[in-house]
Amino acid sequence: MPELKLDRVTKQFKNKIAVEHVSLSLKEGVYGFLGANGAGKTTLLRMLCGILKPTAGEIFCNGTEITKLGGDYRYMLGYLPQDFGYYPDFTAKRYLTYLAACKAVPGEFAGEKVQEVLRLVGLEGEQKSKIRTFSGGMIRRLGIAQVLLNDPEIIVLDEPTSGLDPKERIRFRNIISAMSKGRIVILSTHIVSDVEFIADEILLMKKGSIIEQGSVASVTESINGKVWEYTAEAAEAIRLNDIFAVSNLKNEGDKVRLRIVSDTCPCKGAVLTAPGLEDVYMYHFEEVSEHVDHMEGRI
Amino acid sequence: MKNNKKSKYSKYSKYSKYAPPKERLSEWKFPIDEKKKAEGMAAIHREITAKKIRHYPTFLENVWIQVKFQPMTHWIAEGGLLLSAMALMLWLTRIGNREYGKLMICSVFIVFAGNIALSSIGRLFSWHMAELEQTLYLDLKQMVCIRMLEAGLFDLAVIGLFMSAAGGSDQIEAGMYLIYMLVPFLWSDTLYLHMIGYFRNAAYGLKSFAAGMVCGILACFPLIWEEAYAFSHRPIWFFMAAAGMVLFICEIRRILGKIEGGDSVCLN
Repeated sequence: MPELKLDRVTKQFKNKIAVEHVSLSLKEGVYGFLGANGAGKTTLLRMLCGILKPTAGEIFCNGTEITKLGGDYRYMLGYLPQDFGYYPDFTAKRYLTYLAACKAVPGEFAGEKVQEVLRLVGLEGEQKSKIRTFSGGMIRRLGIAQVLLNDPEIIVLDEPTSGLDPKERIRFRNIISAMSKGRIVILSTHIVSDVEFIADEILLMKKGSIIEQGSVASVTESINGKVWEYTAEAAEAIRLNDIFAVSNLKNEGDKVRLRIVSDTCPCKGAVLTAPGLEDVYMYHFEEVSEHVDHMEGRI
Repeated sequence: MKNNKKSKYSKYSKYSKYAPPKERLSEWKFPIDEKKKAEGMAAIHREITAKKIRHYPTFLENVWIQVKFQPMTHWIAEGGLLLSAMALMLWLTRIGNREYGKLMICSVFIVFAGNIALSSIGRLFSWHMAELEQTLYLDLKQMVCIRMLEAGLFDLAVIGLFMSAAGGSDQIEAGMYLIYMLVPFLWSDTLYLHMIGYFRNAAYGLKSFAAGMVCGILACFPLIWEEAYAFSHRPIWFFMAAAGMVLFICEIRRILGKIEGGDSVCLN
């Protein structure tokens, strides 16, 4: 069973530090990297896959530096990039057969393996179709299929559920959960529900550093006493929404029920409630989310 | 284990050669803990099933993977070029001793042939594939090297054909003929390789074709400069050949270095 160790890994692009002094030890299980856009998740994952070289620090697999392992490390690896690449003129079957060959899957097993992964992601009926005819969700499923071709011991998935509908998302979660035994599964996302139910460990990334790490229970425990519920009039709800981090807002007749994440009691009458992972996300990333909203012109 | 049961052979030492064989066996039967045995066997079974037999492809297998999965259009283009080169060779042998005219035709043909052969490398960097390919057992760097080797062999075949047909005459000696052909070829290939790394999107085919055309047109410079092949200009040709070779090697090193660093591989 592999073990990954990151020792003070840093990555700098010109003047911007994308990842800063990250030290981690990853063993069997599902690890969910949560963070806002630009937190450094993708850069960290790329370094874990050996695509990017760390500016400082080292990454070890079973005690050996991954660049020294070279092909032996890549042999164990299954990677789904955020921008998943494919040759549009290839059929799904040809594409997977090509990747199986490049992943050194022996020829005599490759055909069987390709069929197995196509079945698993529900694309067996489309195997003879050119990839250029696929929808976004189908391409994503093809990406998940290629990850599993070589029975990897280390699986790295960058935003794996983007473009998937809710049913496909659940299906994908079940696949990840089922294959996590005896493997390291590293998943990066900013969709909390993707990791809430399947991750053994949650890692919160902000500005290139890990700010919180632990099981879902322990991470949520860290903001115990900071999540409040309050039912307000519509006008007051808007005012509170502007001031505090509101993780949920629900209309109840002519009133609005708010779920507020705040260190102190946000208003008279607010009652403490048990925190969830989304509340943790709001607690740590509210500032960044607002920034992203501004950038995207939503505010 | 202590055996309290008295046997009629108990007077014999356990090691005694006089002890009847059967009795010795039964007395020395090592007690087996069935539970521990089952646990041990289960652990061995677990280890065996967890063990993966790895297949390490040989160099030739890796070459075959790259050859097998090239698109048909690539082979049609290369096959067509080879056939055209053969036809051209036959025609050149018939047109008599118009050596400089032959040389110009061969030079331009080789430039286009070289760029078409190199276009398969550009495909590796297109459609966001580079990032994924870099994480495969047969990684991007190895793929680029294999495709360069394939392109190089193709170019050698074309150059060989032309040299056998047109190279070496009273007007131009074989070595000089080769240098005259190599200079535009090396410079255009260097320029093409430099541009190829930037074709990462769907329009790659079009841009790749445009770059090839530009390089080919540049190789036609003797048409404009009539004195290009003059004897007095030979030192310039030698210099251009040497510089082209150095630049070509530097360009290959730059591409491989970029792949290794990874930063540009991810800029899809």
